[in-house]
Parts: sequence; structure tokens; C-alpha cells
Amino acid sequence: MIKVRIPTPLRPLTKNQGEVDITAGSITDLVNSLEASYPGIKARLCDESGELRRFVNIYVNEEDIRFLKGKDTALKTGDEVSIVPAIAGG
Amino acid sequence: MAHLVIPKAILDDIIAHAKELTPYECCGLLAGNNGVVTKLYRIKNIVAMEGAQNLSSFDSAKAAHLERLSPEERAEIAFVMDMQDFSTAKKDMRNNGLDLQVVYHSHPHDPARPSVTDIKIATDYEEIWPKINLPLPAYLIVSLMNAEPDAKTYWIKSGQVSLADVLIR
Repeated sequence: MIKVRIPTPLRPLTKNQGEVDITAGSITDLVNSLEASYPGIKARLCDESGELRRFVNIYVNEEDIRFLKGKDTALKTGDEVSIVPAIAGG
Repeated sequence: MAHLVIPKAILDDIIAHAKELTPYECCGLLAGNNGVVTKLYRIKNIVAMEGAQNLSSFDSAKAAHLERLSPEERAEIAFVMDMQDFSTAKKDMRNNGLDLQVVYHSHPHDPARPSVTDIKIATDYEEIWPKINLPLPAYLIVSLMNAEPDAKTYWIKSGQVSLADVLIR
């Protein structure tokens, strides 16, 4: 199982859960598993070609996947994944 | 909180960045060690990008407001950092042994005070910084509403805003 931290703006899609457990072998797998359980979440994270949107980051164990293998980054049981929305303001 | 030291040249660079992008908001990061800022990273404001307002912790009223505006108008009243730029800056900080000290942005039409949106998002972000291995930053806002630019720096913690003690030298 992989623990996934869900940021506030996505919690309406995860029945207000801040953390969910998912089984997945890679980030692509994880996004697809999340989509199966929480429809609509994939479009918020990835563009039409499946690439991570520029206003979101995903960290695996505090490491940015953009500096690992992106969406092909491998995951193993016990990993902690954080979905991080862009810093923003008004 | 310990005070921050921001070199005059870096403050001038922030103001230059704000003036270049006005009437749109600019944003960026300041890094250094132990409260002493030594480096500035300009980050693209991608609030005009499709869907950005939905994943950026904007409250529903602000998100609804942004939805009604054109992309250009959105960038006059909000910013969303390009996380690709952010990642590149974070990597550079790590390679150079620097820590994040300050998140800055501009208010082209409003005072150098955190907006309700700024406070909400900074408060939401308090729990995120440790997850991404970064310390809680101060927030610098540069206002261009008057002829003379005005920059002020704040700590935002648990929804409470306090003016940061900043030495410009």
C-alpha cells in the first residue's frame, strides 16, 4: 500500500479524505488507480497527453518526481506520495 | 522570529520584476541561509493556464471570480506559480546549499498587504512545506499602486499575519 496525501482543493473528489491508500507500481499507475476510485481526479493532475500539469507537483518520500523519473517513477509498498498544488495568491 | 536580511540589489530586482509584468502579478522565491537572502528566482505566473485556478487552493468565491475573467484579467488579481520553475529553483537551492527564505509576489493595483486569498493559501501551505522539505517562508508583497513602489514582508502562521523584521542592506 502507498499512502497518498491529498491537498485541500482535491478533497471534494476524495470524499474529504486528506490521505488515501492506493496500490500502484508507478506514478502513472497511481494516477489511474486514484481515477478509478475518485473519478475526475486525473484530469486535475494530468493534461490530455498524461503529463503532469504545470500547476501541480507530486513528491515521493519528499522527493520531486520531476527529478526522479516523472510519471514513470517506480513506487513500492510503504512509499508516501504527496500531491502538492502550486503556491498561489491574489 | 529571527529577522531577515535582504540585499538592496535583490529588492531592486523584485521591484524591476513587478514593473516588467505590471498590470499582471509577478511571483518568485528568495533563498539564502539563516535569514540572509542571497539569491532570487523568478517564477512564471501561470494563473491564466486552463484549470490552474482549480488546483491552487483558491477559495470557491475567488475561483468563481477568476472563472469569469479573461486569462489576462486573472493575472491582474492573482498568481499561480509554475511548479516546473519551482522545481528547478528548488533543485538549484539544494545544489548550492541554500534554503527557501521568502515567497514574493506583486500587487499591481492594491496595497502591500496580504489579501484574504494570500492568507488562506499561506495557511493551507503551512502543512505542505515540511512534506516538500522546505522551511516556512516569509511572504514579501510589492505594491505598485502608488508612484513609489512599496514592499513589505510578513509572517503568516495559522491565519495570523505579522510584519517581519527585515533589514535591507
